[in-house]
Amino acid sequence: MGKDRLLDVLERYEAVIGLEIHTEITAANTKMFCGCPVAFGGEPNTRVCPVCLGMPGALPVPNEAAIEWTVLAGLATECDIALWSQFHRKQYFYPDMPKDYQISQYDLPFCSGGVIDVEVDGPGVAERLDLDGDVVADGPSPVAEDGGYRVPIGITRIHLEEDTGKMVHVGGSEGRIAGATHSLVDFNRAGTPLMELVSEPDIRTPEEARRFAQKLRSIWLALGVSDCSMEEGSMRVDGNVSIRPRGQAGFGTKTEIKNMNSFKALHDALAYEIVRQADLLDAGEAVVQETRHWDATARRTSGLRSKEEAHDYRYFPEPDMVPFSFEPAWIEGLAAQLPELPDARRDRYIAEYALPKADAAMLAADSETGCYFDAAVEIAGTDRAKQVANWMLGDLTAHVNAAGIAIGEARVTPAMLAELIGLVEDGTISGKQAKQVFAEAAETGDAPGAIVEARGMKQVSDTGAIEVVVAAVLEANPAEVESYRAGKTSVIGFFVGQVMREMRGQGNPAVVNEVLRRMLG
Amino acid sequence: MAITEADVRHVAMLARLALTDEQVSALTAELGALLGHIDELQHLDLEGVEPTAHPLAMTNRTRADVVVPGLPREDALRNAPDTDGTAFVVPAITGGGDAS
Amino acid sequence: MTALDLSALSARQVRDGIARGDFSAREATEAAYARIDALDGETHAFLQLTPELAYEAADRVDAARAAGEDLSPLAGVPAGIKDNMNLVGTRTTCSSRMLESYESVYDCTAVRRLLDAGALPIGKLNMDEFAFGSSTENSAFGPTRNPWDLERVPGGSSGGSAAAVAAGMVSISLGSDTGGSIRQPAALTGTVGMKPTYGRVSRYGVIAFGSSLDQIGPFTKNVDDSALVLEAIAGEDPRDATSATDAVDAYAAALESGVRGLRVGLATDILEIEGCAAEVKQSVLDAAEMFASLGAEVGEVALPSAKHGLSAYYIIGPAEASSNLARFDGIRYGHRVDDAEDVLDLYMRSRTEGFGPETIRRIMLGTYALSAGYYDAYYGQAQKARTRIIEDFRSAFEQFDVVLTPTTPEPAFRFGEKSDPYTMYLNDFYTIPVNLAGNCAISVPSGLCSSTGMPMGLQIIGDHFAETTVFKAAAAYEAALGFDTTPPLVRALAR
Repeated sequence: MGKDRLLDVLERYEAVIGLEIHTEITAANTKMFCGCPVAFGGEPNTRVCPVCLGMPGALPVPNEAAIEWTVLAGLATECDIALWSQFHRKQYFYPDMPKDYQISQYDLPFCSGGVIDVEVDGPGVAERLDLDGDVVADGPSPVAEDGGYRVPIGITRIHLEEDTGKMVHVGGSEGRIAGATHSLVDFNRAGTPLMELVSEPDIRTPEEARRFAQKLRSIWLALGVSDCSMEEGSMRVDGNVSIRPRGQAGFGTKTEIKNMNSFKALHDALAYEIVRQADLLDAGEAVVQETRHWDATARRTSGLRSKEEAHDYRYFPEPDMVPFSFEPAWIEGLAAQLPELPDARRDRYIAEYALPKADAAMLAADSETGCYFDAAVEIAGTDRAKQVANWMLGDLTAHVNAAGIAIGEARVTPAMLAELIGLVEDGTISGKQAKQVFAEAAETGDAPGAIVEARGMKQVSDTGAIEVVVAAVLEANPAEVESYRAGKTSVIGFFVGQVMREMRGQGNPAVVNEVLRRMLG
Repeated sequence: MAITEADVRHVAMLARLALTDEQVSALTAELGALLGHIDELQHLDLEGVEPTAHPLAMTNRTRADVVVPGLPREDALRNAPDTDGTAFVVPAITGGGDAS
Repeated sequence: MTALDLSALSARQVRDGIARGDFSAREATEAAYARIDALDGETHAFLQLTPELAYEAADRVDAARAAGEDLSPLAGVPAGIKDNMNLVGTRTTCSSRMLESYESVYDCTAVRRLLDAGALPIGKLNMDEFAFGSSTENSAFGPTRNPWDLERVPGGSSGGSAAAVAAGMVSISLGSDTGGSIRQPAALTGTVGMKPTYGRVSRYGVIAFGSSLDQIGPFTKNVDDSALVLEAIAGEDPRDATSATDAVDAYAAALESGVRGLRVGLATDILEIEGCAAEVKQSVLDAAEMFASLGAEVGEVALPSAKHGLSAYYIIGPAEASSNLARFDGIRYGHRVDDAEDVLDLYMRSRTEGFGPETIRRIMLGTYALSAGYYDAYYGQAQKARTRIIEDFRSAFEQFDVVLTPTTPEPAFRFGEKSDPYTMYLNDFYTIPVNLAGNCAISVPSGLCSSTGMPMGLQIIGDHFAETTVFKAAAAYEAALGFDTTPPLVRALAR
């Protein structure tokens, strides 16, 4: 399914997309309603207790830290925080749910009515066909912005609930339910604090959906509320998508897409689904309201179950817990704890250091990178922020990616990077040498200055010393001197090479050139 | 609002109970009779009365985010009808559960 | 020495006797099991005996005394535990096929506190399945018989807890009360049963019926023991987010202070319901007279919404129960069909086989009341009626310190007499509003019904956390009435 197919469809149809994003609060030490530790994987059923196993008579007691994290998440996405809220029971039977009801929130969630600004640039801009204004979509309208656009996406609510256990399906193909003979249930994950964010149906393109999820992830990472690992499932994105002929007011029939395990999968699955729905409508067929799975290898969505009974969750107030009443002062206290969020940090980098927007955004995307940058600039000096950014987005990023480590784990500390930049700026070493020094520092953790010493890399800029070598080189090559003076100035390169060889590469190229031109005069 | 056999079958499905036809008709009668008494609530004028979910006016009962020891796995699995020694074993899921 | 007769001694007397060295905790244990051997074949109060746990606890008490240590308040007191409370080393069945072989993997907080106070765990007691019933006829393992008349029910759901104390098989027992399951069987067996204020005793470890209604409480032979036991089990529990943080009073110490000036309200309007036996009515009027003669200020009080309690309760209770019983799905524990085709089949047949008829009835009723389209009409409306009932009690306790009603409309009935569910439910007419409002109430014997010779019970209701006042009133009434709590069956043993 080529991208052009999507654009072709979007010429005629408007997509209406809403996202449901579940994020485990991995920052919590313990589960939502019991004292079992929150962690990933491990031997099955080794992080369990009567509460998270739903043993008869066990009672849930809410984790105060998980509630604070959720309120912080709401504040970071401009939600209103409820002064009165409570948990409800959502009732349905499933083997990975110990009590056969999930403690969740219903009409009184902790957070509601927030917004996230989503910026789209690059090729994805093309998916937004109403940008030029000839087609007016309802929902928030995009604002054009250097080469792309920005659009505010509403957040309906963020509520807190408990995660389910995990099932391994045995006997079928690749652990799929289909064809499995039986399943193994592990409750280590059961009860992990889980935030569910529901967006407004404000999203109009797969690219906006991707950007929304990426922006949300960067905010969660800046908060430190979760590790947001889509691979390990600590961040899970589901999408509701419907299409309608452009200009039509009413919504079309929507489908819910699950199992999108990466941002790329999110974009591609929504793109596939939009085109699939358009093909149905074009063929005069109807879209069936259903849940569909994205198959990343087959690159298609497929219906989950035909035999799906209509849900009746029978929500009612959780009688094992009492309601929550939050004082405005308490909420303000949490708001005061909010760290600098990615957008603010990016804008600060642009304003203070005149960094290109793309660079600033990358450095601000997660707090670890941002803190590294701030620390390095602090030492190197504001006037060298540009160089710090270049090193970080270049050699440092390449190194941590290759080593598969977090930027905070790199052996090159912000102080060392600042030192290295200093050595280049004061002409002690060349840019080429600096790359070698960086590589060695990343290996050994030795200070750049020490490496330069040890390797004897100090660059010679002393004119006197260089004049001696130049004189010798000119004397040894009279013919070339002749042709230079006869106007074939290009042989300067030959002389530079000779001098550099004599100086084992440590001559300062600028000074060598200057001296040569003078003495060839 | 009289309860019908169809209601009873629907509710039995929600509650995951497999009722025989005899049970369905018996329960339709019994529940109908009980609801006949309970329906007196419909005639009460409770306009503007706040519903009570809890007899005491307590709020904000939470626990500190501190790890406490859980159950050894043998105790977790002790009462399980079927396990593989590490996990609970359940038969295949063929559409029955309503996963969300 | 002649064998110890627990019927003749209060729990306090047993504890003090051991402290004095009149007899040992081991002897008290032997007395309990001897009485069980003699009578429980007929009464069937116990589902499970736990001698190894009991004798081990008894030996600890005797060793402590030998070492000259101060004995804890219930040291060496033989105790029975309703079989819906978890205790490691026991099966906890809720009298259900579903949990027939379920072994507890943790302790119920209230049971733990009782045993930490020195009580001896003699065994687990029969009940209506999952506490659904008022006669123990819904036990999957056969009913308990009333020691006052083996042809009659002991009440329920905590019928085993009541019968065991009435027959002197144990000095004290724990029951649970969601709509009257402690007070009604206490009334029917001539024992004292206390339902504490909601949240006063932790619910952690008692298998839930109605989470916003359930409370654990004691069965004893007298009010003093009741106060003693409640002191031991009450108090905040970090494992129960609905347990109250209020400090626990020294209930027993306050009993002697009498009722002079106590404002006693007689709930006259609800006395006049059909089905309330004339003698029961009279016994409550006599009780009011007695309080007046003891110097209390007696007046009449109206509880206009109480008559809607039954309807509200039979929505709220089953609604919460239907949710609480979902977990019995045959996966982590409990009954499971061995030939399930798939998970749905496993759920449906395991649950249907594991649950008895009344349990299925309540699950169905509660599921219906919460299902789409009916929530507002039933659950929502019941919650509002509940508010009205709470307001009734609030205004009643602005004028009065305690409120008097019968515990039950009539004394113990015969097995099979109440086949129709609703007439059975009517037995809890007077007790249910107290659970809905979360107040505390005690049932104390109010004499024998002349026609049947069966005990009757007076319900004394108190404000939230006014247990001390309730105990004080109950103690004064008990002393003035001088009721002999020994059933004929036990007197016959002596001869």
